[in-house]
Amino acid sequence: MKTAIVLTVAILAQSIGNVALSKGMKLVSGGSSDSADFSLIMLLEAMQSPFIWTGILLLILFFVMFTVSLTWADLSFVVPVISLSYIVNVALAHQFLGESVSETRWAGTLLICLGVILVTKSGNTPKHNNAYGLNQETRPYQT
Amino acid sequence: MDAVTLLMIAVIVLSNAAGDVLITRGMKKMGEVSSFHPYHLFQLGRRVLHNRDFLMGVFCLAISFFAFISVLAWAEMSFVVPATSVVYVVTVLGAKFFLKEQIDKRRWAGTFLVCVGVVLICLP
Repeated sequence: MKTAIVLTVAILAQSIGNVALSKGMKLVSGGSSDSADFSLIMLLEAMQSPFIWTGILLLILFFVMFTVSLTWADLSFVVPVISLSYIVNVALAHQFLGESVSETRWAGTLLICLGVILVTKSGNTPKHNNAYGLNQETRPYQT
Repeated sequence: MDAVTLLMIAVIVLSNAAGDVLITRGMKKMGEVSSFHPYHLFQLGRRVLHNRDFLMGVFCLAISFFAFISVLAWAEMSFVVPATSVVYVVTVLGAKFFLKEQIDKRRWAGTFLVCVGVVLICLP
């Protein structure tokens, strides 16, 4: 139950945080979709945007929930669960940023989720069996 | 999609992967968190600030973050977020070629699905 609550909060915080960051950066850049119009000064301007700070605070919340969960749960369990946030991200971008998400893009997002789940839940290799190949035996104790 | 966007996605992905590995290694040394009392979380926070892996991980994630919000200035979020999932492919390939790990069929299948998914989101 502890794990379910912590990871749900993590997914929601991450997705809503990304929407806030996206909104903030689009306001700073004036909505241009050309990368040539971007300048580093915009990053400084972004630091004065309430949207960016909301996004940063939500991502800090995500980060705390994620790292705290790693102290008792395996990375190879946490990462596939968090991968559901790809769907939440795209849904929120469609709903709140008015991005038109094509069916191809939805299909791509779903495949990515499935792929992440397969990559991180396969445990045939005894020593290196999580997403980042970290040795489970380096843990101070097993739970 | 232009070269700058692709380059920035690469920066986001590589610094994110490095950051996650370093932070995981750091946090595993902290022991399981069983109390959410503010005082205990504060103590954990103080201990973690003396952990070099953790600090280097945070630095990598900071690079990843600024690259990410930069791309958001011009690109659609529903493209940028799934595009950064290339991190899973990079990690599996890295594990295969640098760490000489055995990659089982399920993991290759997952990696392939992520690749196909990324190609789909890149289509107009």
